[in-house]
Amino acid sequence: MDVVVSEILQKSESEALKYKSIEVKKHLELEYDLGTLLAVDNNDFESKFLRPDKREDYFLNLARDNTQLLINQLWELPTERVEEAVMVKLPPAKTLLPRMKPVPKPKSLTKWQQFAKDKGIQKKKKAKLSWDQQLQKWIPLYGFKRAQAEKEKNWVLEVPQNADPNEDQFAKKVTARSENVAKNELQRLRNIAKSKNVKVPRVGVTNPDNASSKELQTAVTVAKASTASLGKFQDKLPKEKEARGVADITPGASRKRKLPPVAGHIEKKENLEILDSILNKRPKMNIEQAVAKQIQSTKMDLSDNNHHERSKGGGSKSKNKMGKKPKGGKGQRSGGKNSAGRKRR
Amino acid sequence: MGRKAKFNDGVLVKKGPGKKAKKQKDPIFPKSLNVSDDADKKLSSRQKKRFKRREEKKAELLEKRKQNQKTKKEGKSDYKKGKGPLAPPNQYFSESESGDDDEIDEDETDAESMHEEASGSVEEINVKGFSDDNQAWLRPKSRKGFRPPSSDEEQGGEEKSDEDMEEEQDSEDHDFTVEKLNDLSDNEDDEFDTDTADEEEDDTNTEDADDDLLPIEKQNIKLKKKQARIQKESDAEMQSIISEQATFQFPSKDSEEVVSLQDVQQRIREVIFVLSDFNKHRDSNHSRSDYIELIRNDLCTYYSYNEFLMEKFMQLFPLSELLEFLEASEVQRPLTIRTNTLKTRRRDLAQALINRGVNLDPIGKWSKVGLVVYSAVVPMGATPEYLAGHYIIQGASSFLPVMALAPQENEKVLDMSAAPGGKASHIAAIMKNTGVLFANDLNKDRIKAVVGNFHRLGVMNSVITCMDGRKFPSLMKVFFDRVLLDAPCTGTGVVAKDQSVKTSKDEIDIQRCYNLQRQLLLAAIDSVHAKSSTGGYIVYSTCSVLPEENEWVIDFALKKRNVKLVDTGLGFGTAGFTKYRHLRFHPTMNLTRRFYPHEHNLDGFFVAKLKKFSNVIPTSDDSEVVEDFNFNEDILNEEEEVNEKQNKKSKQNQQGNDKKGKNSNKEKSHKNQVGSKEKGKKGKNLNGNETNKTDDIEKPTTSKNKKNKSKKTDITTNKVNWDEVPKKVGVKLNKKVKKDSKKKTFGELKQKKEKFNVNRTDRKFKKNRN
Amino acid sequence: MRRLSEERTKVLFEKLAKYIGPNIKQLIERPDGVYCFREQKDRVYYVSENLLKLAATVPTENIVSLGTCFGKFTKSGKFKLNITALNYLGAYAQCKIWLKPSAEQQFLYGNNISKAGLGRISENCEKYQGVVVYSMSDLPLGFGVAARSTAECKMADPISPVCFHQADIGEYIRCEEDLL
Repeated sequence: MDVVVSEILQKSESEALKYKSIEVKKHLELEYDLGTLLAVDNNDFESKFLRPDKREDYFLNLARDNTQLLINQLWELPTERVEEAVMVKLPPAKTLLPRMKPVPKPKSLTKWQQFAKDKGIQKKKKAKLSWDQQLQKWIPLYGFKRAQAEKEKNWVLEVPQNADPNEDQFAKKVTARSENVAKNELQRLRNIAKSKNVKVPRVGVTNPDNASSKELQTAVTVAKASTASLGKFQDKLPKEKEARGVADITPGASRKRKLPPVAGHIEKKENLEILDSILNKRPKMNIEQAVAKQIQSTKMDLSDNNHHERSKGGGSKSKNKMGKKPKGGKGQRSGGKNSAGRKRR
Repeated sequence: MGRKAKFNDGVLVKKGPGKKAKKQKDPIFPKSLNVSDDADKKLSSRQKKRFKRREEKKAELLEKRKQNQKTKKEGKSDYKKGKGPLAPPNQYFSESESGDDDEIDEDETDAESMHEEASGSVEEINVKGFSDDNQAWLRPKSRKGFRPPSSDEEQGGEEKSDEDMEEEQDSEDHDFTVEKLNDLSDNEDDEFDTDTADEEEDDTNTEDADDDLLPIEKQNIKLKKKQARIQKESDAEMQSIISEQATFQFPSKDSEEVVSLQDVQQRIREVIFVLSDFNKHRDSNHSRSDYIELIRNDLCTYYSYNEFLMEKFMQLFPLSELLEFLEASEVQRPLTIRTNTLKTRRRDLAQALINRGVNLDPIGKWSKVGLVVYSAVVPMGATPEYLAGHYIIQGASSFLPVMALAPQENEKVLDMSAAPGGKASHIAAIMKNTGVLFANDLNKDRIKAVVGNFHRLGVMNSVITCMDGRKFPSLMKVFFDRVLLDAPCTGTGVVAKDQSVKTSKDEIDIQRCYNLQRQLLLAAIDSVHAKSSTGGYIVYSTCSVLPEENEWVIDFALKKRNVKLVDTGLGFGTAGFTKYRHLRFHPTMNLTRRFYPHEHNLDGFFVAKLKKFSNVIPTSDDSEVVEDFNFNEDILNEEEEVNEKQNKKSKQNQQGNDKKGKNSNKEKSHKNQVGSKEKGKKGKNLNGNETNKTDDIEKPTTSKNKKNKSKKTDITTNKVNWDEVPKKVGVKLNKKVKKDSKKKTFGELKQKKEKFNVNRTDRKFKKNRN
Repeated sequence: MRRLSEERTKVLFEKLAKYIGPNIKQLIERPDGVYCFREQKDRVYYVSENLLKLAATVPTENIVSLGTCFGKFTKSGKFKLNITALNYLGAYAQCKIWLKPSAEQQFLYGNNISKAGLGRISENCEKYQGVVVYSMSDLPLGFGVAARSTAECKMADPISPVCFHQADIGEYIRCEEDLL
């Protein structure tokens, strides 16, 4: 028996020698987050083992030791046995893992939600069914049964006081309802647009206060086409321009409208008028031009003066220098310049 | 979910060449691997050509030599009796062997060949092959390889050696001999030269020998020798001429020879010589037509025309003139420019251009605005003067129609086919920008040139339109004072400008042209106002020389409209034909003017001026119904083609119904074609119109087909009166009868009509002449 | 062919006024007949009334050009003068530039004129005014816009442009295809 025990002991001993012990000594305790099976070793590396030849083994051992410690920790947790397997329930993780995508922004509130929040209005839960006194039955909040019930209930409608007796109250009700539906839809869209920061055109007739010049141009062009009669169009305003790209909505007003033929002299007159208006335009103040003119005029004056002075000094000498034929007093050279210009003979 | 539909049930249909083929191109092998065929292909393209030519020459040479030998045998058999075959007289042999012998051989053979030519005194002169001094060591060559030194100067031996040499040369030295053969005449000269040199040598030798003669004796000897020499030379020349004449052999038809251009040229000359005095020089075995065919073919090859056009030209010109014309057609006319009188004067322009380094001269007395440019340092089409519109580059011939038109100021003038606007702007310049000038052209691309030129030249009174000229009378009937119609034509007068004319034109093209021209001319006439105070003139011009496009068109118009020919007002040019082959034109046709490149140094051109004397469009009572071209011009052309084919077909049937079996397939295909063309137009076919058209068209085709027939029959066949043909047949003709039997009846009918109409047509002709 | 609308006439005249100023009157009031402006396919033609009447018989789509083409309206409604208008611009030009012979070729290839090429310039030429360009022998070569006024030109250095190219007669061969 002893022999057996000793054998077994020996065997276990030899096996124990083969494995390392589960006890590991550390200078500092590890930090554990068992929820994510994480252990953080804050001890320093031992520098003598960091040489290239020993490094491998050292790291391997270190990793094994730390793993051992983690496993040890696990074994301290309460264990269960489920179908011959030992099971540990991990505590919730303490470490926060970073997420791949940014955190979604909170949805912007709809107009009503915003309003309700501001006013502190709470949403009341409505019952799905309600007891109708008149029909003596439960009626759902919405759905076809509700519609049927409505019909049943409102088979006759009262004409309100001061109302037009010929008015169809039923039709009125229907339109009111459809209007309401449309309104709701519109509001929904508007809310979406608002949340996505999309510009939405105003509804209905454009407000002349906010119209751009282009819109106005279009409006005028269209209006002109619609008021035209037998090819006669309204007179144009002084700076009026015809809108472009309106050919499809105003079939009458093409930009290439052929003018009615007129007699030559009338056309001439018209052209002359236009020409006059162009030529007699009040010129804009062109500073550059004015300066240039001023400079030129002063220069001219200067050169004139110089010329006079020179001519006063000694005319004959300078003439000889120029090497020109004496003209015998016949041709007088006009102007200040000596070089350019045509000879007149 | 669900299964995938298998629409093609597992059968894979391959589309296209597959991915791999799409991706991969043919592999490109490295150059080093590409050697396989290069061993043969090392010759460059030019080398190849040369090699080919050499081969051809070689073959031809052999041929020629054979022939020559044959003729020699025949001609001089008595002379050569008992001796070996003579080498051809004109051949000239030179170094065949390497080494010292070369020169000697040459001398010898020179002398010999020459002497043989002057065959009268062969033996006597033969010895003179060597000068006296040289006789001691010079020996005529007798054997090919090894020449034993012997003083034997037997004729036979020499000749033999010649022959040997010939053979040898054939094998070794084709090039040289061929070249020598090619220019025979030069060769002869050379021979004479060497000969005289020899003689001179002789002279000196004799002088040396007879030192002790009196000077007068010496002179006498000299003189005698000189006389003898002159006599001999003249004899030789005479002989050579005779031999040349005699040597022209009609090439045998079997020999499919490829001849060099020089040979062709030579032969052309020879044939022309023969034809100049046919009875004297002819080869009795061959008729004139054989000769003419030969020369036509030769001209075609030499000037690279197609046969049809060459035949036309041969009909048009006498042979001597024809050569001149063809030669002149090869050369471009000198560059001429026209001064734009709207912007400058000729003197000023000439001065400005001379300053730019242009060498020019006035074009001649007949034009005050033209200048000829001989040479220019600057491109004439890009000088500032050109761009400023002071002149336009324009052929001298283009001045003529405008000068003939002689537009006046404040007139309404139409140029029907104006592009590129040279003539039209000339008109505007003459009118000094007054009045109205309508410049029309059908071609949209070419009309742009008109716009550019007009604006550049400062023409402001113009309306440039782009439409069919034939539509003008429908728009502006009886409106214009003058109309210039420079009709589109085959361009046979301006071959130098566009060489493609030589080969591209055929019967159909010409026919198309003159039909269009006729319609245009009628349209032009219709749009002129006859009672215009200043005008009422139409000028018709083409750059073609063919009478079909010129006189014939005018003649047609004279018949159809109230117009008469008037003098063009051009001081020069040859008169138009009043008759051409079987055609007889109006006698006033001599008022029209023709211009030829060889005669006037202008492009080939034709100008006719017509005066309209009545606005009424005549309608004649008999067969020649006036057709209104304005109605269905569009279909006319195609109809004409169709009809022509029909006519041909009918003629075929007429001539031999037996052939029908053979040709039936062909005809069917023909018909199908025709039918497709005709589609959609059936409704429009006016019977009278149609038939009339066929009448007009028939002339040229028949004239071609029945060249050999007498004139009278020709005319009668032409003038078939289609009005007489029952309409039924006519209609079926239009609708492309498919059964042969119908055609047969058609042919028969036609035959009958021919007989019937002989008298009528004769009468008509008389009328026309009057 | 149709009449120019009022605003188009205005645009045209404004453009012409840059080059020939009050001389436009001479174009409209001519002693030798009534002349007028007509447009077709946005091209403006200057043509005598007489010619116009005669041309009326021809369908408009067949008329390629008539009288003198002055230029065309661009899609944006501006007017662009063509070289073809030079015949008239040259005759009535107010502001002129004469080119040295050496600079002619440059200009005819469509380049601007630098001071070095400037032979002469008429007085009181304003900046950005339309100028007609002549060769020294008074051949009108084209037109452009003055890059400097006359006074400034005198001061300018040789390579600086004095005139921006707009059209030149070289276009007759450079772009004959799309001249109009």
